[in-house]
Order: sequence, then C-alpha cells, then structure tokens
Amino acid sequence: MQLTRRKLAVVLTSGVALAQTPAAPPPGPEDLLQAARDRNKANAAALAAESIPMATEPAFQFKA
Amino acid sequence: MAAIGIDVFFATIPELNARLKAKEFTAEDLVRAFADRLAQLGPRYNALALPLNQEAIRAAKAVDKELKRERFRGPLQGIPYGVQDLLSYAGQPTTWGAKPYAGQVFDYNATVIEKLSGVGAVLTGKLAMVELAGGGGYRLASASLTGPGLNPWDRTRWSGGSSSGSAAAVAAGLVPFAIGSETSGSIVTPAAFCGVTAMRPTYGLVSRHGAMALSWTLDKLGPFAHTAEDCGLILQAIAGKDAKDSGSAGRSFYYTPQYARPMKDLRMGYAPADYAEWAEPAARPAFDAALAVIKAMGVLMVETKFPQFPYGAALSTILAAEQASIFEPLIASGKVNELADPAQIAGLKASLEVPAKDYLKAMRLRRLMQEAITRMFAEVDVLVAPARTGAASKVDQPLDRGAGAGAPAPKDPGFRAIIPAGNLAGLPALVLPCGLADGMPVALQLVGAPFSENTLLAVGREFQSRTDWHKRRPGSAAA
Repeated sequence: MQLTRRKLAVVLTSGVALAQTPAAPPPGPEDLLQAARDRNKANAAALAAESIPMATEPAFQFKA
Repeated sequence: MAAIGIDVFFATIPELNARLKAKEFTAEDLVRAFADRLAQLGPRYNALALPLNQEAIRAAKAVDKELKRERFRGPLQGIPYGVQDLLSYAGQPTTWGAKPYAGQVFDYNATVIEKLSGVGAVLTGKLAMVELAGGGGYRLASASLTGPGLNPWDRTRWSGGSSSGSAAAVAAGLVPFAIGSETSGSIVTPAAFCGVTAMRPTYGLVSRHGAMALSWTLDKLGPFAHTAEDCGLILQAIAGKDAKDSGSAGRSFYYTPQYARPMKDLRMGYAPADYAEWAEPAARPAFDAALAVIKAMGVLMVETKFPQFPYGAALSTILAAEQASIFEPLIASGKVNELADPAQIAGLKASLEVPAKDYLKAMRLRRLMQEAITRMFAEVDVLVAPARTGAASKVDQPLDRGAGAGAPAPKDPGFRAIIPAGNLAGLPALVLPCGLADGMPVALQLVGAPFSENTLLAVGREFQSRTDWHKRRPGSAAA
C-alpha cells in the first residue's frame, strides 16, 4: 500500500502513534531555575497586590 | 533478658513507663529491643539515618541503676526515641539529609536532646529526612541522602516530608516517639500520611538550638507519637526558655489534662468546603465520620471564614529569603549541585535573587495576618481541618502531580491555607489519625491560638478516647 502524506499524517496523529511517543523528558536545570524564578516573581506580584498601612512594621523579632 | 512482645513496640509512653516500673522488663531490655528493631527495619522504610545502639545501651544501663534506687524522673525515663537528623548529637554525623553535609559532625548536643536526656529518655537513632528540610522546593520523594521515605502502610507510597523518618519510625513501631521539625507542613504532612499523632508547637516554645536553620522565623521542633497524651508528655519535657535560641518564647509548658476545659465550652471553627470540596473523594467518608465524632463530643461547631491573605506567597518569600542567607555559602561553593533533587537545587539558587523589599513586604503583611488570625480566635477556640486533603502519593510520582493536580479548584477556599497561615502566625497544631482512604491513613489537624497546646491536646485526647485510628498498625510493620 502506498502511504500518501495525508495517510501518514492521519497515522501520526492517531492514538496509536501518540501512545508510542516517548514521555516528555524531565525538565532540565535551566528550565527548573527559570520555573523557580517565575514562582518568586508570582509571589512578589501577589504580595505587591496587597496594600499595607505605611505604619505597619515588619516583625524583626518574630513572636507568636 | 525479658521477652519483648510486638505489643510493646506500639505501646504508649504511660504504658511503657508502667511496665518499666512494674519490672516487667528493664530499660536495657526495652532499649535493646527497640534499637535492634530500628536498625533492622529502619532501612526497609529508608527511615534510619544513624543507629546509636552502643550509646543507647550505655544510657539505658544508667537508667536501670536509677530505677533500682527508685530515683524516678518522670514518664519518659527509660523510653527510647529517635530524632530527625537535623539535630546535632555530639561526636556523631549530622547530615541534614543532604550529601554536601554527609561528613558534618558537631561537638555539642541540640537542646532538645539535652532536655530529653535530662528526663531519662534514651536516644536510639537519628532518623531520615528530606534534604535540608526541603526548603528549596523539592519535586521528588527521593530528595534525601537516604533515598525516598517509604510509608510503612504501603512501601510504594511516600512517607511525607520533611520529617519522613520520624513519622515512619513511629508508625512502624521502631521508636515509641520521635522528634521532627516543621517550617511549613513538615510535621503535619508525614504524620498524616503515616497515621501517627504529632504536634507542631507554638513558635518559640521549643528551643531550636542545635537544629539546622532553614528559616529563623518559621522553624519549629515537635513530637511524633502514638497518642495526644504522649505528645503532651513529650512537649512538657522539651519545651522551655533557652538563651541559645533567639526565637525562644521564654515559656515553659506543663501538660495539664486535669484542668482541660469541658468540651461543651469549646467553640470549634470549621469550613464545610474542606470536607465536601477540597478533600479527595476517597478520603471524604473518613473525614465526615471524624467530624461526626467531634460533633458528638459536645463542642460547638462554628462555620468559620479564614482571613484571606496571600499566605503561600508570603511564606514562600520569607522562607526563600532566609534560606538564601543561611545557605549562601553552599550555593556559592557549587556544592548545592550535589543535592539529590534538581528542583531543590534550582529553588535554592533562585532564592538568592529575592529582593529585600519583597521579604520586608511579606514580613509586614505577616503582622497583619497575625492580627486578623488573633481576631478570628476571639470567635473560636480551635480550628479543625483535614491535615492533608488525601492519603500519601505514590513514591515514584512527582509531588506536583499528586491526586487532584490540575483539577479546577473549588471557589470556597475553606481552610485551604491553614498550613502556611498557621506557620506564619506561629500557631500550634495537633495531627490526629482519623481513618483510612484506599487503605492509607488520613488525619485531621486541630489548630489553636499561640500557646493553646493544652486545649488542642484535650480535644485530641477526647477524640482518641472515642476512636481507635491511632491504634491501627500498618501491616508491613507486624514483623
């Protein structure tokens, strides 16, 4: 059977073909570092969205 | 040597104390039995960092001499225990669960170890932990020098972290009690996953001198045991002022169940969404049944709204900034790359870039959070919530892909943020096993105002007098 490009595309996008696709490789060091930086930025953005009275001091000597 | 039956390995502290006093066995018999069991079975769960059999037997013999002279030091005298390998023990390795510190030896004991030694408890081993208590943000259960913490209920599942070995060792009957640490969830999570009772004390109540610092303003040490009463007895021994810990609250703790308020006088805050929406479906029947037990105790249940703040963002920012300062030498030297978990390495490196303004904003916001939480505790005495929303994840599964990952979050936040919020405000928490989900333990957590440990313990004791989940043993620990 001659495999046309159209038929090949159908095969490659079928469930069978996808199931045979190897799992995505684990993220590399650079990806993880960027993800950690992105988390820090997201945290900073969440904090920036909060308004705090100017007189509120940080608890330098934290006490429960 | 007296025969030590399997029931002894799961006995409570008062039971062991009574049997020692009754001379059913000596402290040496007891310590030898537990130390051998820890050395033999600890590796099965990757729970053991360092056996201390020789030292323990020497200490037990000294206890026996005291008992012979009827010199009693209290309920912990002669009771074996383990500590998370984050605590220094003079002359022995203290690895913090991390390869870069595998050869580290201190010449002094942590205050907690000194205090337990002072009441006659016998240290039988150091217990495994997630490397550096997981502050960098680990993604894999294998983020430890000793390998992934394996759950005694099912070794294909994680024991939780960062106090992995402390929880697993108590669950498997390898020690009657253990000491672990929490910065944000490191006592609550492994206790819930392993089905043991544990307490995160109020910030500053237990000295951290001799413990690895991860975050000066968040770190706490606390007990893992079989019952709430055990936790009270241990906390009494380890709490107290310590000039060597700048965060010390300067307060002692006396376990006083005789003065507990009647259950009917207590108002207990809860959020229905925690049970109906956030809990994983397999765990809901257990949580519902546990809540019914609490209601039957006579406490007044009050639907409560938790003050809304970006707790997770604030905690992560404070933790990142403080650990960056603490571990800067490790990161700068490049030895950070020896850690087991790549995500942890990346998180530690990125933490160096947290601006001071963000740290200060988080610390200022923390003060507002504390004020709002204090106002909430004017309305209720105790909060109750699932300790974790479900059972332990599979050990080979990335921790960010647990059950429910990717599912849409319920609109009602309930007490979803109770772990970061509780740690930011320095609140005590008591973890109580409350059932099984797919054969694995799940637990409730009780959270109270600062220094309300006796109230939490009283509620815990009442709950455990009506249930037997804290007495269940994992099948794999029967040997």
